[in-house]
Order: sequence, then C-alpha cells, then structure tokens
Amino acid sequence: MPPFDTLNSAWMVWDGPAPAPEEAVLEYTRELEKFLAEIERRAFRMAQVALRDPDDAMDVVQDAMLKLARNYASRPSAEWRPLFYRILENGIRDLQRRRSVRKRFMAWMPSAKQDPDNEAQDPLETVADASPAVPEVLMRDQAMLKLESSLQALPARQRQAFMLRNFEGLDVADTAAAMGCSEGSVKTHYSRAVHTLRDQLGEVW
Amino acid sequence: MEDKSRESFEERSRALFHDSVEGLDFALRSRLTQARHAAVEAASTRRRPWLLRLGVWTPAAGVTAAAVLGVFLWVGSPLGQHAATVANGQPNLEDLDIVASSEGSGDAMDMLQDDIEFYDWADKAANSGSSTSS
Repeated sequence: MPPFDTLNSAWMVWDGPAPAPEEAVLEYTRELEKFLAEIERRAFRMAQVALRDPDDAMDVVQDAMLKLARNYASRPSAEWRPLFYRILENGIRDLQRRRSVRKRFMAWMPSAKQDPDNEAQDPLETVADASPAVPEVLMRDQAMLKLESSLQALPARQRQAFMLRNFEGLDVADTAAAMGCSEGSVKTHYSRAVHTLRDQLGEVW
Repeated sequence: MEDKSRESFEERSRALFHDSVEGLDFALRSRLTQARHAAVEAASTRRRPWLLRLGVWTPAAGVTAAAVLGVFLWVGSPLGQHAATVANGQPNLEDLDIVASSEGSGDAMDMLQDDIEFYDWADKAANSGSSTSS
C-alpha cells in the first residue's frame, strides 16, 4: 500500500504531532524553500504540458506549494517530493474535470458556442521573434512541441507515469506514492507510455 | 538493440524537457519565486503554537463581545426595565386581566388605545390610594 493513501483530492489536513519548537520550524522552512526552489520550474512545465495553459499551470503549482507547506512541511523532507507531485496531480485532475464540465455546459448553452479556451489572443504573441533563429534551437523546440502534443494525447495515468519517471526522475516507489497506485501499475503505465510515444514520434524524432 | 533505442529515446526526451525548463522566461520564474515565498511564509505561520495564533481567538472574542453587548442592551433598554417591573409586581398582570377578559375586551382595548397615559395615571393613583389606606 502506498504511504500516502490518505491523501486524496479532498486535500486532507495533516493532524500531526504538537507544533515544533521555533528552531525546528526555521530549519524545515529553510529546507522547504530549498526543495521548492529546486522543483518549481520542472513542476510548472509538467503542469503546463498537462494543462496546455501557463496561467492554469501556475495556479496549480502555487496551490500545490501552499498545500505542501501548510499541511506537510513537518513531515520528513524525503517524503516531500512524492507528496508534492501527488498534490500537483490532484490539482491538475481537478482542473481538467472542471474544464470538461464547463465545456459540456457551454456546449449546452445555445448562446455561448465559443470555446472559452479560445480567448482573444494577445497580438504581441503573434509577432515574429526578432532574435536570430538558431536552427538547432528551433529543432529542439519543435521536437519538444511534438513530444508535448503526444504526451497530451496519452491517457492521464500514462502521462503521469512518464513525466514523473522520465522528467522528474522519481524512482518506481516514489512514482507509485505520487500516483497513489502500486509499483506494478507504474511500470505498466510507464512502459505503455514509452511504447506509444516512440510509435507516434518515430525513429526520426 | 531495442533497449538501446528505448534508452536513447528516454534520454532525448529528458534532455528536451530540461532544455525547455531552462528556457522559461523571467516573468514566469519571478511568479514561481513569489509563489514559493508565499508557501514558505504559510509553513512558518502555520507552525506557530496554536494558542498564539490570532485565528484561534478571533471567533471566541467575537462571541464574547456580542454576548456582553447583548446583556448591556437588554439591561439598559426600556424593554429590560419593563421586564423588571413585570417580575416585581402585580399591576401589569392586572392590566392584562382587564384587557384579556372576555367581557367587553374590545372596549377595554379601545380605552387603552385612546388615552393610555390617563389609565396609567389612574392605575398609579389607585395603587397609591390603596397603599395609603392599608
């Protein structure tokens, strides 16, 4: 059984032991800051890949940081990484659910057929980049875009397993804790994800 | 062969991801830093001893203040004084008897409404008369 089976989308609050003395609090807030500084950008990019929206990604990362800090900061720091990604994945899933409900509702409304995600684009975003285009950088960007798009097409569990194992470098046990499933399931999801991605992206990629 | 190809795929995808992380713009990095600081702040405030937290005392203080204010208003208001007179003596109950009696109760009510101050005076005069006579 994964060690964080009590953590679900209802964001259970940690009823831990009595408050730690000030010295200990200072110590783990310093450690927490270091930990968050180390993972925040990767977490943001992973949320962005899953949600396809930088603002939504920022919101869920911010939320995950706060929840980790409020409810689990006094836990051993070795547990933070899987806990953080568990919270982040729950946030991503909740947001995706809300989006799908909103989409269904908007489709049902006769007067609002527009997709809310297709808001007016910032004209500045369409202006061509004035910096000199380095072919290698462009190729890398394009390859990453292809990878992102293939990841978005994967089932959610496979995408999670791939990003946590490959991008974040979690081992199987921590990935299982973060995903709330068995280690065997992680291996299966990861293996299927790699297989599908390689099929889609091809050898040339 | 298959394993090598798989490994190279994994390495390439990891490298691409890390490149994209390094390429995050300044504005996003700044927002992430702000979010981190807010989280660390939340962690340090959360761990204060619960007795010292403002949030613990706010509801209790509010309820106490409301109760004190309620008692103060009740005691100071005419309603409160009226309650005191009801508790003290008979006259008000007698008024109620007159008003509520089935025999001509409508008239009694009309009388009271017509000149309530007169009847109040008459009642006080009658009481003072009876107390002096006894």
